[in-house]
Amino acid sequence: MTTQQPILTADAILERGLKNLWYPICPSHMIGREPVSLRRLGKKLVFWRDQDNKVHALDDHCPHRGAPLSKGIVMGDRIACGYHGVQVRCDGTVTRVPGSPGCKLEGSRPTQAYHIVERNDAVWLYNATENIDTPPPLVLPAELDADGEFSSFLCYTEWKGDYRYVLDNVMDPMHGTYLHKQSHSMAEGDNTAAFRIRDTDRGFVFEKEGQRDVNFDWTEWADTGTHWMRLEIPYPKTGGPGGNFVIVGSYTPISPTLAAVFHWRCRKLDGWQRDTWRFLYRNRLEARHWAVLEQDRVMLEDMEPDANQNEHLYQHDMGIVRLRRHLKNLAKAELERMQQGKA
Amino acid sequence: MDRYLEPHQARRHEPTQYESLLGDAIERAYAAGTHDLAGLVAYLNRTGPGPQEGEVWTEEVYKAQIAKLAEE
Ligand code: FES
Ligand SMILES: [Fe+2]
Repeated sequence: MTTQQPILTADAILERGLKNLWYPICPSHMIGREPVSLRRLGKKLVFWRDQDNKVHALDDHCPHRGAPLSKGIVMGDRIACGYHGVQVRCDGTVTRVPGSPGCKLEGSRPTQAYHIVERNDAVWLYNATENIDTPPPLVLPAELDADGEFSSFLCYTEWKGDYRYVLDNVMDPMHGTYLHKQSHSMAEGDNTAAFRIRDTDRGFVFEKEGQRDVNFDWTEWADTGTHWMRLEIPYPKTGGPGGNFVIVGSYTPISPTLAAVFHWRCRKLDGWQRDTWRFLYRNRLEARHWAVLEQDRVMLEDMEPDANQNEHLYQHDMGIVRLRRHLKNLAKAELERMQQGKA
Repeated sequence: MDRYLEPHQARRHEPTQYESLLGDAIERAYAAGTHDLAGLVAYLNRTGPGPQEGEVWTEEVYKAQIAKLAEE
């Protein structure tokens, strides 16, 4: 008898997210002591906090017969499955099979476990291909350094559609001039521009030639063990001191039709200026930023799932072309590693 | 709702009337190009609202109160 394996393609790999990278999963407040089941990265995962507030994650699939572990009972760093009581530790090891003590499932490590860190109000997961003991460090841009010069707020949203449309949108500065013309921060700048690509040691910058600090003028793509994008938008004078407003974005597939969208809104401020910005952000700026982001969401959600199969790209889309090619190459390399692993 | 769409993720409470008046005043000062603390304090003393504790804004009063408001 043969089992039919679906043929894996680079595109299918990208659809569920590349392996061996850190991904933001959800805001920290979404995970408590009770197990939570979340679909991310082509999988169903269970998350919970132990008595020390540390977050753990496993495949939400009991190694016995596949019941959701998220329906089980948390016992510190273990979960006891609600179906027959099998206990799985946070590293994926079965510690007890109460119905059949001493059976060979006990002590084995059949469940995939994931390393988790919490940074900047989000839960991050290392999407390893198999159980590993030590993940690489999660490196984030300076704007998100805990004791750096920036202050930031996370905005988390879920948008219908493939997360790669969100990547395309962020790698497309020119839409600021049109889609966001009516906004508190993007009314300025020419409505034509020439763009160029500049390589950096961690990725590349797609930027307008001869226009900076006027509108949404550039986007950086970077890979530091996690994929993130960075851009700046000038604040109007009412935004006070502190210069441009920086957005760091990172995007995680929930399913082929839903994306987890993380934006950290950052400003380089300290002292009373920082406190004033944080006060204004909570009191009013957050609502204005939300209105701008909604313009993106509504446009993206109305695009057909296959919109990117029938396009006529021009010079403003060079960044998108570059990013898609880069991701495709990473997916092909992953595919090759998988095939070699099997052979 | 079939997906998470929460416009207010930073707030811990609805803005109070006082907070919104103060926000208006700060934005007006900023819009006028007043981006320094002495200027902001003078502007607030001229147009209000006054501080919630004490009679007039001083730089110290402003720093202490905005630090509190920033985290509330
Ligand atoms: S399915 Fe979980 S213990 Fe049986
Ligand atoms: Fe946008």
